[in-house]
Amino acid sequence: MKQQHLIYLIAGIVVTVLFYIFRINAYESIYSVAGYSDQLYNLGLYDMIPLITIVVAWAMAAIYYFAINSVRFDRWYHWLVMLALTVMLAPIAGYMVNSSIFDENGLSYVAESLTFELVNMMWAALLFIVASFSMRWWSTNCRHTPIPQ
Amino acid sequence: MKKIFYIIPLLVVAIALTMNSCSTSPLEKAIKQALVQQDTTQARFDSICAIIKAYPERYKTYLTDGGEVDVAALAELIESTGSNLRPPMHWDVTRYGLQQLSLTIYFERSGSMVPYDAPGGRGQLKKAVNDMINHFPATGNVAINIVNDGIYPYQGSIDQFLQDRNIYASTQGVGNAAFTDFQKIFNDILRVQTAGNVSVLVTDLIYSPADTRDVSVEKIFNEENSLATRIFRQYKGKSILVHQFMGDYQGKYYPYNNNPFNYTGQRPFYMLVIADSKVMDAMAADAAYAQLMSPAGVRNSYRFNQAEASVDYCVIPDWKDNAGRFRVDHHDATHLTKCEGDKTTGIICFSVAANLNGLQKPAAFLADASHYQLKSISGFTLKVQPIDHSMVTGNNRAYLEGKTHLLTLTGKLTEPRDEVTISLANEFPAWIEQSTAMSDTNPSQPGFATTTLGLKEFLGGIASAFGQGGNYTTIKLKLER
Repeated sequence: MKQQHLIYLIAGIVVTVLFYIFRINAYESIYSVAGYSDQLYNLGLYDMIPLITIVVAWAMAAIYYFAINSVRFDRWYHWLVMLALTVMLAPIAGYMVNSSIFDENGLSYVAESLTFELVNMMWAALLFIVASFSMRWWSTNCRHTPIPQ
Repeated sequence: MKKIFYIIPLLVVAIALTMNSCSTSPLEKAIKQALVQQDTTQARFDSICAIIKAYPERYKTYLTDGGEVDVAALAELIESTGSNLRPPMHWDVTRYGLQQLSLTIYFERSGSMVPYDAPGGRGQLKKAVNDMINHFPATGNVAINIVNDGIYPYQGSIDQFLQDRNIYASTQGVGNAAFTDFQKIFNDILRVQTAGNVSVLVTDLIYSPADTRDVSVEKIFNEENSLATRIFRQYKGKSILVHQFMGDYQGKYYPYNNNPFNYTGQRPFYMLVIADSKVMDAMAADAAYAQLMSPAGVRNSYRFNQAEASVDYCVIPDWKDNAGRFRVDHHDATHLTKCEGDKTTGIICFSVAANLNGLQKPAAFLADASHYQLKSISGFTLKVQPIDHSMVTGNNRAYLEGKTHLLTLTGKLTEPRDEVTISLANEFPAWIEQSTAMSDTNPSQPGFATTTLGLKEFLGGIASAFGQGGNYTTIKLKLER
């Protein structure tokens, strides 16, 4: 294991942890709307949705580099497909959790929830890139994807 | 490659540690849930207490030495948890810490009180006293005294008192009914009152010292004003709630000049509820004491020594009457940033939902905008509207639930920054002056049926003892362009 690769991994973890610590600022600096954002905060969704996004992004990167890990899928567009799946999957999961908890509490913010998940797509993409550059070095067949070393 | 599997858990551990540092204890979680779900009931409070008792070591800060939940400490935690929510939420749990109270009735038996319970009248006075006893939560902790020139314990049982159709006949001969020694009565009530006691004096509040023949009415007024101030100044921690009722009166009336006459008609009578201020606050917050705080048939009420209260309020970010734009600061719910007037009219309009229940004022008083004082550089105007259930929807529930009134502010923001102060002034009530007679020698004079001799002087004496004035509450909002 090269020391440089380890630094990439640690840096990726640090960025992810910082994202989680400053999750509320991260989301609200881009999208904050009266009422809806307060409910996200009060109902703990600012804890859950970012966590789901982190888990999905890192899991998808891990699947690509270590489970798929095949020369047949080592081109940049294969990685891009995984990125696309991540930016779809994380917001869908986030939306489902959001709407289910809002339903339980008798709240209805459909348009706001959808807009929020658009923002979440952006963070999911960013976290997938961070996860990819953190772990790709240990992949036997895809370490050169998306950008050759 | 395999080494990655040793490093990946690092991420998991890091996230877990982060989550752990951000997570709350089961107690705080339960409090937060109760506040967010607006389930601020006794049952929910009991379930929170159960969590504390289930983990006595972990939550020993919230337990007393006797192993009971320290309501004051828990109230602080609830307040700090609620203040971190958006909008900040409050839950007054002090009433749950109210120990079982006792009630002592002091039933005046002077000559001018007897006609209130004449057989031909409707008996409003006796009914009001009976209601107060019957609706007191701890019916076993009730004592009755007869008062006139002194305080004498009632010899019968509570049931006998309640069923007695002519209480003045059955208590005839108790004390000297010729005069009422307010100095002795109030001093004794206040001196013997224990922390958990609520005393209620049932009286016509007519100061009738012995031998007032040839004494000017002004002299009597000055005397009673000084007397009230002198007595109550010694008991700064007490609160006095004065209830005014109207009752049928059939019999001899004793005016200050000692020339009695027969009178048939209505006359006011009073119930003075006396308790420690903290007990009074807790009773006001507890529906179980509603009959004491706001009895059926009461005409007017006023509480002396009511401290300024902080009320629960929040700006409703999305409301039908809103005009222009603003943003509620996430760290300070009283701070509106990015305020902009409507593009065509330049007017900014926003509504504050407030819970004014704790102020112990009648609904009509709270709904009247003229009772509120509004200060702002921009000259905002205020509209007050009671909140009804039809206004509450899923999305605004967090803002409206538990609130009683909407305070709508309208104006043009003329300065980059403004501070709006809404206060509800605690003024000596007009009804006391309106219910005061300067002379009671002539029953045919206008207002005889609704006024009491020297009421303002006596109650004014109490007011000056407690240093009356100030506000019931103050709401402050900061506005910024």
